[in-house]
Amino acid sequence: MTQFWDIVHLLTATPLVFVAIGGLIWGILGGALPGISASITMALVLPFTFTMDPAQAIALLACVYIGAEYGGSIPAILIRTPGTNSAAATVIDGYELNRQGRAGEALGISLISGVIGSLFGLAMLVLLTEPLSWVALAFKPTSYFALGILGLSVIASMSGGSLIKGLSAAVIGLMIATVGTDPISGVNRYTFGIPDLLSGIEPVLVMVGLFALTELMSQSGTASLARLGASIRIKLPSLALLNRLKRSQAIGCIFGLFEGLTPGGGGSVAAFMSYNEARRWSKTPEKFGRGSEEGVAAPETANNTVASATLIPLLSFGVPSSNSTAVLLGGLLMHGLLPGPRLFEQNPQVINSLYVGSFIAIIAQIAIGILILPVCIWLVNRPRPYQAGFIFALILSGIYTLNNSTFDLTLALVFGLAGYLMRLAGFPILPMILGVVLGHMVESSYRRSLVLSGGDHMIFLEDPIAVGLLLAATGFAIYSLIREYLDNRALTLRGAEP
Amino acid sequence: MVVNKDLLSGVVLLVIAGLYYFGSGTIADSTLSDEVGAAGLPQVLSLVLTGLGLLLIIRSLVARRKAPRSVANDNAQDARLLRGVGFLAFGLGYVLLLPALGYFVTVALLIASIAVFERSEQRWLIPVVAVGGAAFYWAVFVKLLGVNQPIGTLWQGLLS
Repeated sequence: MTQFWDIVHLLTATPLVFVAIGGLIWGILGGALPGISASITMALVLPFTFTMDPAQAIALLACVYIGAEYGGSIPAILIRTPGTNSAAATVIDGYELNRQGRAGEALGISLISGVIGSLFGLAMLVLLTEPLSWVALAFKPTSYFALGILGLSVIASMSGGSLIKGLSAAVIGLMIATVGTDPISGVNRYTFGIPDLLSGIEPVLVMVGLFALTELMSQSGTASLARLGASIRIKLPSLALLNRLKRSQAIGCIFGLFEGLTPGGGGSVAAFMSYNEARRWSKTPEKFGRGSEEGVAAPETANNTVASATLIPLLSFGVPSSNSTAVLLGGLLMHGLLPGPRLFEQNPQVINSLYVGSFIAIIAQIAIGILILPVCIWLVNRPRPYQAGFIFALILSGIYTLNNSTFDLTLALVFGLAGYLMRLAGFPILPMILGVVLGHMVESSYRRSLVLSGGDHMIFLEDPIAVGLLLAATGFAIYSLIREYLDNRALTLRGAEP
Repeated sequence: MVVNKDLLSGVVLLVIAGLYYFGSGTIADSTLSDEVGAAGLPQVLSLVLTGLGLLLIIRSLVARRKAPRSVANDNAQDARLLRGVGFLAFGLGYVLLLPALGYFVTVALLIASIAVFERSEQRWLIPVVAVGGAAFYWAVFVKLLGVNQPIGTLWQGLLS
């Protein structure tokens, strides 16, 4: 009962409301800027929290994280540039809807799905932190390997009709992920004596190059992106549409919760998996990739669920699942707060403040979204000659912020050229992105597992979590292969008809 | 000469696989290395890519006999390719000029040059939009986010 009144008091406490909304706006701004990840957005605000009350400081960081995870979808839909890694799956149908002059609708679906995902994640955080936290501890290197394989298993269904090209793109993605310092022995691989390559190639550089620069190059010389008659208003989904989206949102919630509890993927796996499953369970799977509302709802629900659910292992055991939660852990430690069961006993005001602040931020997200998103749509509908220059400058400015390095800019341009040539040759881009994002996790977990077992591959079958995930991955891959075979056969038969 | 797109792609995949495999031979051995080794995955990946490249070549050779090609489409595609690569050249110019001219000037030049490249009809407006855009980005990235964007060695030299 005391906790209830604490929460009621916090809900009405003016400073927390300001902290939550301020953090949300800052997070959306950072997430929407290409190259500025959620973790960078949080790190930028971290020094300002030093003098704040610990409860408000932690709430501020959590709200920045929520805002950044949502903000990543805005450039994904409007300029084909995922603001954060986990927004990469949103690009597929979000940008397609934008091209059809339905940007307001796509942003509305993304906004509401994000709110639903965040609320679900928060509810799970409040209700299940302790009962479910064992999952985080149960994860071993074998489980991480299987999780990575599960993520890669969707490649077949993202190959755009050519499995050979899809697999080739994925292998090249995995090759890119091997650049840098070897995770086990520490020797350099494919660094060519360049210090900037020692820490590997940032996935965001590959994504920005393949998605955004490729799109800018493809659009060059074409008519304005502005669509005559296209509304700049946000169109929130109707009840009927929400009813149609509930299945894909439920899938997003499930995958988001699962990945939030399991350190490693950072939202990307959940987004791609839920996109794939939403298509599988959809009544209109043929619309996916051509501007499907469900194709926006599923990944957006998933990555926003992850943003809240990922706090479960952090608060329970101090296990940061991603760079962003590592920054939050830094914030906790900076204020002398040690994560774990005692945090709940000794500092309940910090926990309550985090819960209430997150709740305020999630609800405020609707109002803030409705206010700022029309401005974003208006901006991307400006005359093409100026718009292209502004987007290019934004991308290059954002990339530079990663490491203050012109080498990163060069790399992004190289990936832009590669993506452009891939597009012309009919190679799908998404498998390559998956390879880059998951390559390091798959390789390092595989090799760590073998180090633990002395080279015995049976270790993968001794871990029930790994077995379950590998079985699921096999199921996904077989299903995708059969579906592609049937689709190609249907196309051939249709072509043979007189 | 008209080249089959898939055939060319297959050859490029073989070249990538070959170079990558050659690169794996230069990875140093370490006493800390495990059973798989730092070169283990790269070697497997290059073999897989070789197989995929060969499959693509075979498939394209089989398909080549069936489908006629359109030379007009190839010409249009060449023009698109050149324009796209030309667009990217502005990015390369940005990278080369950024250290010398600094963030503000380089962003203004980038916006202005792309407006010209994309055939803006209101030429008189270009300098205004370019300087305004550079000022906006400078305010966001340098002032608001505190990013250490280059000031420009040229201006530093003039000022000192």
